[in-house]
Amino acid sequence: MSADATATRGLVGLLDPRRYGIRHQAGVVGLVLLAVAPYLVPTVWVRNLTIALFFAMFAMSWDVVSGYTGQISFGHAFFFAIGGYSSALLNLELGLPPVVTVPVAVVVTVVAGLLVGVPALRLRGPYFSLVTLVAPTILLNVFILFSDTFGGELGLDSPAPILDFDDLAVTLVANYYLAFALFVGILAVLLAVTRSDAGAVFTAIREDEDAVAASGLNPAKFKVFAFALSAAVGGLAGAVFVHTPVGNPNPSQLLALTVSIEVIIAAILGGMGTIVGAAIAGIFLRLFQLYLGTVEYVVPVVDTAVADVDLLLFSLVTLVLLFALPGGIVRWAVHGGGAALDNIRGRDTATDGGRDPPDRDALAAVRESWREDVAAMQARVPGAEPGPDESAGGDRR
Amino acid sequence: MVNDGKQKTGADSQGKTDAGQGGTRDAIVRRRPLLKAAGAGTGLALTAGCLDSFAGSDGGGRQELDGPLKIGVLAPEPANDPIGASIANGARLAAQQLTENGGVDGYDVEVTVKDTKENPGTGKQKYQEFILDDEVHATTGIFTSEVLLNVLDDIADQGKVHLTTGAATPEASARVHENYDEYKYHFRTGPINAYHLGTNLVDFGEAMFDEMGWEQIAVLVEDYEWTRPVSQALDDQLGDTGVEVVMRERYASGTENFTPIYDEVESTGADAVLTAMAHTGTPAVVQWARQQRGFEFGGIHVPMQLPSYSAATEGACQFGITQNSATPKSEVTEKTVPFANAYQSEFGSAPVYTGYITFDAVKQYAQAVSSAGYVSSDEVVTELEDSSYRGTAGTIEYYGPDHEYAHDVKYGQDTVWPLFQQWQDGSQEVIYPENLATADYASPPWI
Amino acid sequence: MVDVATLAVNSVIISALYALVAIGFTLIFGVGGVLNLSHGATITLGAFAAYYASGGIVEAGVGGAVLAAIVVPALFSAAVYKGLIERIQDQPVMVMILTLVVAIAVEQVFLVAEGTQPKSIPSLLDGTVALGGSKFQTNLLVVFALSWVIIAGLFYTINNTETGKAILATSMTTKGAALVGIESDRVNLYTWVVAGGLAGVAGLFLGSFQTANFAMGRGPLMLSFAIVVIGGIGSVKGSLVGAYVIGTAEVVTGAINTRLTGLVPLLLLILVLLVKPEGLFGRELAE
Repeated sequence: MSADATATRGLVGLLDPRRYGIRHQAGVVGLVLLAVAPYLVPTVWVRNLTIALFFAMFAMSWDVVSGYTGQISFGHAFFFAIGGYSSALLNLELGLPPVVTVPVAVVVTVVAGLLVGVPALRLRGPYFSLVTLVAPTILLNVFILFSDTFGGELGLDSPAPILDFDDLAVTLVANYYLAFALFVGILAVLLAVTRSDAGAVFTAIREDEDAVAASGLNPAKFKVFAFALSAAVGGLAGAVFVHTPVGNPNPSQLLALTVSIEVIIAAILGGMGTIVGAAIAGIFLRLFQLYLGTVEYVVPVVDTAVADVDLLLFSLVTLVLLFALPGGIVRWAVHGGGAALDNIRGRDTATDGGRDPPDRDALAAVRESWREDVAAMQARVPGAEPGPDESAGGDRR
Repeated sequence: MVNDGKQKTGADSQGKTDAGQGGTRDAIVRRRPLLKAAGAGTGLALTAGCLDSFAGSDGGGRQELDGPLKIGVLAPEPANDPIGASIANGARLAAQQLTENGGVDGYDVEVTVKDTKENPGTGKQKYQEFILDDEVHATTGIFTSEVLLNVLDDIADQGKVHLTTGAATPEASARVHENYDEYKYHFRTGPINAYHLGTNLVDFGEAMFDEMGWEQIAVLVEDYEWTRPVSQALDDQLGDTGVEVVMRERYASGTENFTPIYDEVESTGADAVLTAMAHTGTPAVVQWARQQRGFEFGGIHVPMQLPSYSAATEGACQFGITQNSATPKSEVTEKTVPFANAYQSEFGSAPVYTGYITFDAVKQYAQAVSSAGYVSSDEVVTELEDSSYRGTAGTIEYYGPDHEYAHDVKYGQDTVWPLFQQWQDGSQEVIYPENLATADYASPPWI
Repeated sequence: MVDVATLAVNSVIISALYALVAIGFTLIFGVGGVLNLSHGATITLGAFAAYYASGGIVEAGVGGAVLAAIVVPALFSAAVYKGLIERIQDQPVMVMILTLVVAIAVEQVFLVAEGTQPKSIPSLLDGTVALGGSKFQTNLLVVFALSWVIIAGLFYTINNTETGKAILATSMTTKGAALVGIESDRVNLYTWVVAGGLAGVAGLFLGSFQTANFAMGRGPLMLSFAIVVIGGIGSVKGSLVGAYVIGTAEVVTGAINTRLTGLVPLLLLILVLLVKPEGLFGRELAE
């Protein structure tokens, strides 16, 4: 694969300010803001920003497989949990330091991801989503079944921290920079991959898998690669997360259905298949949720403080946003705002390089391919034994 | 098999110590001010220099109270859960009474409540908010053992007194015992620790099983951290009471359908199930009553301690027995009933056991600050260790540093000795100990 | 060891309840081609509607509880369809996501309104009956009988009424149904209403058996996946068989180790998806 070469080119390209369009300039401003954020906000919000950065990493991990290849995973928490629990268990049980346990956890996550992904990726559309929806639930049941090892519904003890200082504020700030470094690293790698030829194939698979196959490429191989990459990123973020003061190896932070669904919501609101969108929306979504938890304002009629109904309000707001802007807030804002700015400056919108994903709505592509899959299922004559090729729905070569 | 709480502690601290530079509980390592970065990546050296600006000034030394006494309260779902609400309101009522009676050294007592959502991560977050934002002098509350264990290292790091008023895991006291200088800030005002909860079940059994006709017993324990020592205590001691244990089951956390479990109990011919249930108690007792299962039901059953429980289950808890710290009408001490009445008139409902304990914790802490003359933690810790406080749930004294349950409330007839209540005709009747009993044990009519 | 007769009767009873739990989910997938992930929340809503109607808010007796458990979820289901799903029903991903968020919102509503403590819902009939040497709860036998009456009624409706036939036709081919003048939107709405009512009754039954709490819908949703995939997506008959496979497997493994009950249906689901993804019964709605 030429992905490596392209990745390098992409990285070098990213460092070249002459290539920067308005969007990229905005991105750089955003990164700089994140870099100085601990000096701008109260310490409690440094903590919240750290949580938000990890959540953004989770969302990017989802986007690289689901946003790009159109294989919608409803259970990405599976990866985060495998990563986090593996690293925590290796540390707690064997006493290995995080510098060893985190890389091992990434490998474990990729292996576990492939064990689920390789068979599951043969399934198309809704079936794939069903398997991924069920996978974290099975894992949770295994954790409950062997609760002596996995701590059941309430999780494990905190493993050793990577960075720890006497002063709580210093610890929190140091861990923020740890999360920020990891965030930037993951962002760079995922941008490089998705803007490479491999990324183009991912997108093509989403648009029309059969056409990719017809052109002589094996879509299954690319899907598995995207899946493994996503597992590695998700596992890495999950593993580091549990060694920071903001994360714990427990189901509600790493494995709950709400984790999986919030990741999807972030990526969709950010604009599927863009990586950057998932990152931005991930940060804001989590910060918004944490903010709601601090609002003491008492809603008059129902006589309840906002903080007591934070998750309810959060789900209602996301519901409205998803319904009103299914194409994504970031895409909507960038299109509106970016076009306006470009008009003012009298520039052409196409100056910001050709490697950006097509503006066509990723959801629309997924929608079409699903409709075909469902139609194919519906067309199957009852009783007739389908051939091995069709039964799995994939692998048509 | 059931994991021994003490063994687990040993294994854990072993693991942590072996983790070398990353170890969380190693005193020497922890106090070293510089990076203990096991995985220091690029950029960390760069940031380390700038971090100094975030380090607050270290208090250190003795400190007198020079403003309101601030106490942070960690409660699970205080808006939705009676256990959390009682923690929050018990603390509020104590602060209110203290302030009305002249406060501590003339200063008001202020409590701030935060919601742990029974989630270890949230609990840690809220604890750190108390330290960073609210600058509290001490904290109290915490119902879930998993939350407590996750906050314990922060309590040690911050060196602020914490009085636990719900979580029962003896792992916390084991850490105080093993690493006193680090963890001495943790006290458990109540309930008695989980091993003693089990011991208390056995003590109850020795006194009462004969009279109740419980000869063969099935032990049903929900599989959560807090029940491990309970199981351990029952395994260690239940044999001495003369009853035959015909079934032992640690059923899965989150169990909703008890049909398979109850079928098995009935097939063993047990007279009764001895329970340790908190999270899964309601479906268990409702299915037992509705299905009129052929065995009696009692032990530790946290939801059954709620005064409003009969109405909430439409009487399904009828004939169920549970251990409890106090009931609104029981004279555990001369302070119990006045507190329950004051709580009732202030908040419109009766308190749950965590309410009595938290009320005691806040009052005892305030008394300790007042008599020590200092609010700084080391002085208050010494004062609490020597304290004998007559509260609503008994006489609160703590085991010393050398005891295996260091800083846990002392279990005994003269200190804290839980009562057992049975639901009869929609009210909580005390059946044990004898001096508090309001009724005799009654068997369910379908047996 | 629990005796075989008790296990057999338990399997038969719980399986009938599981069939009722899954049928609404099957119907919506069969007709609309979408996975309704708020199905579990609809079940929760049925249980709480019954709770409110039987003393929680008003005292309307068992009859009122049953009525509330059918009507409220049916209306809710209709509202979800008309308000959210209709506009995006050709986007199965968005349907899954939106219905999942709806489910979370419903859970949160009951968490805020009722707290974390489970609520008990009155039995349809109190007491116990002796059957073959074992005692059984009358309530469960009623649940079993009613489940079958409702399922039989559903089969009859689908095969013998105009609306039922329209539903059947749409589930076979949307285009074909449109050609013969069936409005698929109207059929979809009916399907959601029927599915909502059925889920509500299932919620009432589950609640009266196990108690009701805000998160009680999660288990049944997972069960529905397993049952529907095993039976063949969209096949009502397959769902019945799937429910019996799952119900029996659960009771039998539960007798060996009670901790296995949650895991077994999901493992069966994965097994079937990997080995025979079209399920045991291809796809047809009914015969």
